[in-house]
Amino acid sequence: MAWNTLIFYLLGGLAVLSALGMVVASNPVHSAIFLIFSFFNVAGIFVMLGAEFLAAVQVIVYAGAILVLVLFVLMLVDPEDLPEFHTARPVQRTVGLLLGALLMLELGLAILTRTVVGGFDQELYPGILGFPAIPENVAAVGGNTQAVGNVIFSQYVLAFEVISLVLLVGVVGAIVLALPERLGEQVRQRTGTISLGHPRGTDQDGDLALPSGPRGETPMPATPTAERTDEPLDATRELILVRDPDRYTTIGRDR
Amino acid sequence: MPVGSAATGFGVRGWGGRAGGHATDMAAEQPLWLTFIVAFIFMNVLLIGMAYMTLFERKVLAAMQDRMGPTRTGPKGFLQPIADGIKLLGKEDLIPAAADKWVFRFAPLVIFVTAIVRVAVIPFGGTIEVFGTQVNLFAADLNVGALFLLAFGSLGVYGIILGAYASANRYSLLGGLRAAAQVVSYEIVLGLSLVGVFLLAGTLSVREIMERQSVDLQFGPLVLPNWYILSQPLAFVIFLIAAIAETNRAPFDLPEAETELVSGFHTEYSAFRFSFYFLGEYINMIIVSLFAAVLFLGGTDGPGTEQFWLLGIVWLFAKVMFFLFFYVWLRATLPRFRYDQLMGIAWKVLLPLTLLNILVTAFIRLVGNGQVF
Repeated sequence: MAWNTLIFYLLGGLAVLSALGMVVASNPVHSAIFLIFSFFNVAGIFVMLGAEFLAAVQVIVYAGAILVLVLFVLMLVDPEDLPEFHTARPVQRTVGLLLGALLMLELGLAILTRTVVGGFDQELYPGILGFPAIPENVAAVGGNTQAVGNVIFSQYVLAFEVISLVLLVGVVGAIVLALPERLGEQVRQRTGTISLGHPRGTDQDGDLALPSGPRGETPMPATPTAERTDEPLDATRELILVRDPDRYTTIGRDR
Repeated sequence: MPVGSAATGFGVRGWGGRAGGHATDMAAEQPLWLTFIVAFIFMNVLLIGMAYMTLFERKVLAAMQDRMGPTRTGPKGFLQPIADGIKLLGKEDLIPAAADKWVFRFAPLVIFVTAIVRVAVIPFGGTIEVFGTQVNLFAADLNVGALFLLAFGSLGVYGIILGAYASANRYSLLGGLRAAAQVVSYEIVLGLSLVGVFLLAGTLSVREIMERQSVDLQFGPLVLPNWYILSQPLAFVIFLIAAIAETNRAPFDLPEAETELVSGFHTEYSAFRFSFYFLGEYINMIIVSLFAAVLFLGGTDGPGTEQFWLLGIVWLFAKVMFFLFFYVWLRATLPRFRYDQLMGIAWKVLLPLTLLNILVTAFIRLVGNGQVF
């Protein structure tokens, strides 16, 4: 069993080192790489404990989550702000240190006072994992995927549903935040446009309009020619560089 | 619990065994060195297969576009992949001055390693006897094998996004951001499309899923194999679409749309670092084809496989070739999707359909168990 111990210390050591690297790295993308590496090592420890399902879920969930983190860094953090970003104010340092110490204390207490508790009455819940979660008990219910599934959907079903609800609220909140005001109207305005630089109203007009293919987007109703005040398309097109594409590509004359 | 005893089940059976001691349908035990040899052979077969996949793609594309394809190197251009490989090895390795150098060097390896490591859980058959020794035709039989494949599939995109970031190039970054958004969306669809199969098979082990399909079903005079493509047709179609998007292939190759982004995330890469991206992409295609063949088409199942295990590999090869041909066929046929269409398909069409599929499958499974009526 010496190999097991050796590999455990290898995985554990790398996990701790990369967690440290995550904190001290000056580049947030490097921090994210260290973080995923740390989680990866933790997944390795899960595999060694015979919890393959947990390991796979750890990689799948956190790989996706940290990917989004990397995207946030790439899209939202201005590289020139980085030194500022990393020299925290004294208040932040003190509070951070205090909270970190508190967490360490909490974890230490939890480890020191840990006991294997709980378990199911095998007569009430036949076929569901009886604690402690040792390999024999796990094998008895048909493997650790089955064991996790049974426990989640019997004893912890309420907690599971509450978590689902919280996530759903998160999704709805994100959609509400991402919705531009009067979304419907904006989408309708955008569908008719071809590109920047067209004089107003020419891109959907009779012969000048692009043919809408069989699977094309829903075309805008063409502006009746009689109502139009713009001149039809000239041979030359002015190149207009704008921040807001809708300003120059909106069809309509009320602007 | 002390560390040593906590790690029960590890090491005794080697990497190939299942930790956790699942009692049913245990695969034959084999020594660790034998597993390493099998895995080594798989890796090399995969690398050679990847090299000839490039030739296959060029030849089929050429035939579809009424051209000849490579003809000069060797008989009928048969040595072209080798010549390409040697050429790439000899090219100068350029690193942009503004690049994040460590990440730039590290990123191509991510996509390559995560691609090739996935072959470990693909079964090429059951247990055979070679010179009196029991040999498993798979490197590892994890009881979460399918999740393993999905997990490493989604890790592969780190190679793209990190390479794109490290290049310090706007086109690369745009390609990388597209790849990330695309993979995050489509991996959800990919994973959920398989839930129906998991529900029917009752296991996440790829080998067991394949074995469940080797049974014949009798419908009156009609004898059908229990392939999951027949019981999960919707899941199969969705899986295929999502898998093409996940491997960034046409018509979902937005991350390297050369008409807009030069060549997307690998614009700044040259020489062998570039070829790692290339290797990763093609190995991913082969792995996804293997995965689809094993999960939906019965893997090695086919007439005569009970007598000759080699025939099983031939059947698997034929199924994989079908999927690879399908990839090339799509590339030659369909124009690239627009970006909003790509996202719309994933979230508005495929995701509701997969959820519907799960609902119906779960209901049928419950009825089959007699738990509903």
